[in-house]
Amino acid sequence: MHSFSYLVKEGFRNIWTNRLMSFASIGVLICCLLLMGSAALVSVNITNVMDLLGGQNVIKVFLVDGLTEEQKEQMGEIIKGVGNIDTIEFVDRKAAYQSIISRMTDQPELILAIDDSGDFLPDAYSITLIDNGKYSETVTILQSLDNVYTVSDKSDLAAKLESINQVVSVVSVWIVGLLFIVSLFIITNTIKLTMYVRRLEISIMKSVGATDWFIRLPFLVEGIIIGLVSGLVSFGLVTYVYLTATSAVSTVLSAGSLIAYSELWGWCLLAFPSIGVLVGAFGSLISIRKYLMKEGGLSNA
Amino acid sequence: MIEFRNVYKTYDNGTKALKDFNLYVDEGEFVFIVGSSGAGKSTLLKILMREELPNSGEVIVDGHRLSTLRHKDIPYYRRSMGMVFQDFRLIPNMNVFDNVAFAMRVTGASTKAVRKKVPYVLGLVGLNDKARCLPKELSGGEQQRVGLARALINNPSIIIADEPTGNVDPRMSFEIVDMLNEINRRGTTVLMVTHEHSLVKKFRRRIIEIQDGELVADSGPEVPYYA
Repeated sequence: MHSFSYLVKEGFRNIWTNRLMSFASIGVLICCLLLMGSAALVSVNITNVMDLLGGQNVIKVFLVDGLTEEQKEQMGEIIKGVGNIDTIEFVDRKAAYQSIISRMTDQPELILAIDDSGDFLPDAYSITLIDNGKYSETVTILQSLDNVYTVSDKSDLAAKLESINQVVSVVSVWIVGLLFIVSLFIITNTIKLTMYVRRLEISIMKSVGATDWFIRLPFLVEGIIIGLVSGLVSFGLVTYVYLTATSAVSTVLSAGSLIAYSELWGWCLLAFPSIGVLVGAFGSLISIRKYLMKEGGLSNA
Repeated sequence: MIEFRNVYKTYDNGTKALKDFNLYVDEGEFVFIVGSSGAGKSTLLKILMREELPNSGEVIVDGHRLSTLRHKDIPYYRRSMGMVFQDFRLIPNMNVFDNVAFAMRVTGASTKAVRKKVPYVLGLVGLNDKARCLPKELSGGEQQRVGLARALINNPSIIIADEPTGNVDPRMSFEIVDMLNEINRRGTTVLMVTHEHSLVKKFRRRIIEIQDGELVADSGPEVPYYA
């Protein structure tokens, strides 16, 4: 316990002693975390937009003529039982007719040409799906149901949305992964330099019987602090940039284009410092391990 | 206490540092190790500190068979030794007190124990009044005495001194060896590598000579070699 508090103090002392290097590392790490965070936030927002568009991609299941009210209700239950159904709403032929008419007010000659009872239109169910990735399968099942006249098939649009979503997810995972490795590399180099500066101390530590953990701990503390500070500063900057972006975008696009920051800040507060600490800790451990195995001899000072 | 049995050590670059090396040092002995540069003295010390392992042969120190010593046990083994270096190896930004305390903290000693023990050991080497000085404010001899205090702080059973007088003036060299002599008189085994024949002659302790990795002369316990 005496050693632990002493070693933690040593970690803080190291940061101050090598302050130029520490600040440089914090700066570069902040850049990496910002890029990582931005990639993740852009990805989350694009996924959100895709979900919104997918949600607006309504499938119409038209029913055959001549069904009783009871049969129509039963059809609703059968459609629900297909699975992957998010919302379902019955649109009766008269309501459909009114909807068409309301969209044709600028073409009165066409309105006059149409049968004003609306009886020529089929009754239908409007549905949205839970998973647009299973769009085609769901449509095929719906088409095979009895008493279904036809199903509006917009599989192409659903497939496009799905593929965009997948590309965005894969690209952002790669960006985040690559930047994580870059961050690890930065921390590893910083700690390596710190160790080079302190090689005399390390060789003396080893000669007087310091365990590997006694040698590691101050560097580990140093890495964790650098990571934590970088994570917290990045969180602050991302918050500022996101809020600014949200207000700028809302003046151009409709509300709801970007996810509200109130839904994201908790995750960001958890993720930025955690990733920073993780990078700091891993980076330190990797470089110390390498140093102790290769160069950390008693006479290598 | 220290035993080398048919030890061979060849480095990766082909340098044969020790060849069929045999040595026995009893508990409480004081041994001068002499030999020209590249004779194998440093390798001998590195093996003793378990920084290097022999290619063949056996080294046993204080009951520890070094070839079978587990990696995690090496630090604890080293705590039974005190190391004194030619270039002092003091941490420049730590004062005398902290340089000595540092070796004690490594073993997990409490602050209270450090505060009690360090002044005592600094007193033994006559540096109590220099406790707050930085190494650069001390003479070579004083710096080496700090090194000696650091080696003594954990009550080692063996002191290994690698040319401890190499960077100090002749008068101070005599004082340093005199201190090692005094430490030895209290029961600590001392192995001292040196090039200075005047000291070896003066102190008349056991001398072993290494040449090209081989033990070429051994005066035997307490027998003056250069009489």
